Amino acid sequence: MKLWYSFTKELNLSSKSWYFYIELGMAIVLLMVLLFVVPEDFDSKSEEYIYLDVPEIVKARYRDSLEDEDLDELYQIIEVEADNKIFQAEFYETEESKIYILDSMEALNAFSSVERVPTVHIRVNEDNQIIHTYYLQGYETQKLKNLLLVFQNRKAGYDLIEDYSDNISVKSLNQNIEPLSDRESIIPVFLTFNGSLMSLFIIAAYIFLDKNEGIIKAYAVTASSVWHYLLSKTGVIIVTSIVTSLIITVPIMGLQANYFAMLLFIITSGFFAASLGLYITSFYKDIVQAFGVLYIVIVIMIMPNISYFTPSWDPDWIKIIPSYVMLQSFKEIISINGNITYVLVASLGFAVLGLDIFILANHRFKKTLTL
Amino acid sequence: MIRKILLIFKRDLKVSVRNFITLYIIVVPIIFAVIINVFSPGINDTTVEIVLIEGENQQQGEFFQQFAKVEFLDSLDELEERIKRRDNIVGVIPDKKDDYFILTQGNEPDYVVDYVKNLVSFDHYNINLEDSQAEIVDYGRDIPPLKRLMVNVATIFTSVLGGMIIALNIVEEKTDNTISAIHLSPVSRLGFIAGKSLIGVFVPVVGTFLMLFITGFRDINYFHVFLMIGSSCVISIMVGFIEGINNDDVMNAAGNIKILFLPLFGSVAGAELLADKWQPFFYWIPFYWTYKGNNLVLSNSGTWLDIIKYSGIVLGISIIVFIVLAPKIRKGLE
Repeated sequence: MKLWYSFTKELNLSSKSWYFYIELGMAIVLLMVLLFVVPEDFDSKSEEYIYLDVPEIVKARYRDSLEDEDLDELYQIIEVEADNKIFQAEFYETEESKIYILDSMEALNAFSSVERVPTVHIRVNEDNQIIHTYYLQGYETQKLKNLLLVFQNRKAGYDLIEDYSDNISVKSLNQNIEPLSDRESIIPVFLTFNGSLMSLFIIAAYIFLDKNEGIIKAYAVTASSVWHYLLSKTGVIIVTSIVTSLIITVPIMGLQANYFAMLLFIITSGFFAASLGLYITSFYKDIVQAFGVLYIVIVIMIMPNISYFTPSWDPDWIKIIPSYVMLQSFKEIISINGNITYVLVASLGFAVLGLDIFILANHRFKKTLTL
Repeated sequence: MIRKILLIFKRDLKVSVRNFITLYIIVVPIIFAVIINVFSPGINDTTVEIVLIEGENQQQGEFFQQFAKVEFLDSLDELEERIKRRDNIVGVIPDKKDDYFILTQGNEPDYVVDYVKNLVSFDHYNINLEDSQAEIVDYGRDIPPLKRLMVNVATIFTSVLGGMIIALNIVEEKTDNTISAIHLSPVSRLGFIAGKSLIGVFVPVVGTFLMLFITGFRDINYFHVFLMIGSSCVISIMVGFIEGINNDDVMNAAGNIKILFLPLFGSVAGAELLADKWQPFFYWIPFYWTYKGNNLVLSNSGTWLDIIKYSGIVLGISIIVFIVLAPKIRKGLE
């Protein structure tokens, strides 16, 4: 009862604070960014710049084959700019790439040297062979260079090889799993950082504020116990997280997300993060002193993002960082047929860990009332 | 005057070192640098990624490794799990006969699948790098663009951190009520501001230079670097003062600093991802110009005129902000 009372009181107080509205405003800004700035899927069409330094008859053959692939089977003559000069180019747009046929070696140099895009110079050598010269920047790996080289192997174009390659069967795992679009897959990042992890810092800031004003000491002489106070603070922060997370998720994901799992996960992971924040806070007098530790925590928590966006980098040690689990869980929550068992296990883990840390923190706070 | 300014700087430095913040904030760029160094070799690999079953066909694995990033996993289940993740990795798996089939997630671009199909058949027919009719020419620029981007963002971040130290210092002075005490001392208000600002330049400059050195940007024009950091520090310092003065408690400062990061990352994303017609939306953000200027400095392709132009714009925006907010700052320091 007393706990409920202090919780509603805290909620009431914070609903009047500037901070609460920053959180709400921030969630709306993030939503706007997702809706209007981030494209549904990033434009991943590659751009190819080619200069055909070959007899007209060969050129015509290239043109024909490019036009076959072109979306409207016609090319356009357009103007392109490089190194502050305007050049003419034939432009082909296929399903996967944009191809520019440049009109001079000068244009090719301008693109490769000044604009720093890869270009290809196609010419005929003394033995009447067609030679592709790739202009790269220098940071490309040997693997990429080898790949370019092997595709221009004299034998690579033989019918026998093409037939063999066409007959390799391709099986796809995705019969019932719809992958998230690029926009949707950013949501877990926002949820993890705006929701769960911010709890850690916000609760620290809250507590330091109250420490300064002697509220924690005052609690010692009231009928209520310190853990009531700590838990009601945590509760307020979790409520804020729930609201902001819903603001971001509902307009984009609609009914696709599993909101029950999401609610559960925000509560447990938020509780964990807030308890950790409380525990760290209990060691320091003010936020300036705690700043360093909080900073290191934030840097560690950011690392799993890199693995989230480049899955090929996924060492085992990164998997024990809590934000890694949070990112994965939020991803499962918003995916169709997501792995809810993973989310439930993670929730249980966070709840148990959070409770342990909370008890520790409570113990420290009781002991250090005089801080 | 100069001596007094330096005294204030020395005092701030001492206080910050005692609190470990400055130390942390100087260490942070080094952490950034190390992280960037650890990741950038992986970033370079823009080629195809293939996953194979460990020990199934060693020769094939070695062949693929010449051209693609190859991972080996123990079982078919692990392979499927790996393919389901976000990137475009593709599995090559033996079927019942002597052949192979390709396992995809289903959302890979066709060219990735085509590359892998071709590589499988090249391996089958023993086609390798000999007899290639291609040549490769490069410009010897060995720093990948993504690494440049990360260093660039980290540089801006570092200058913002400088502003944060100032904000924290001022909030601290406020709670200790030492600001009013300083008016009784012979330090002028301008001297006080200058003294307080020094740390906001010192920390980012040292941090950034260390970071550039560690990440391997050693052949760039360090004077250009200094100009760009200097100008972006001015805006961070201003933000630091405003944060410090307007916020009586850390709670609000934390919220406000969060808002500050939005234009920072927004302008980087805008400059990198959006088409030209959207660019004017970012012109008011100083970080946008800092980002563009830094990019030129880091790729060593900026002329003096470019650098002066970009740092000048940042400085100009700072001056406008200062003129608008000067009365507030003055009042806050009273």
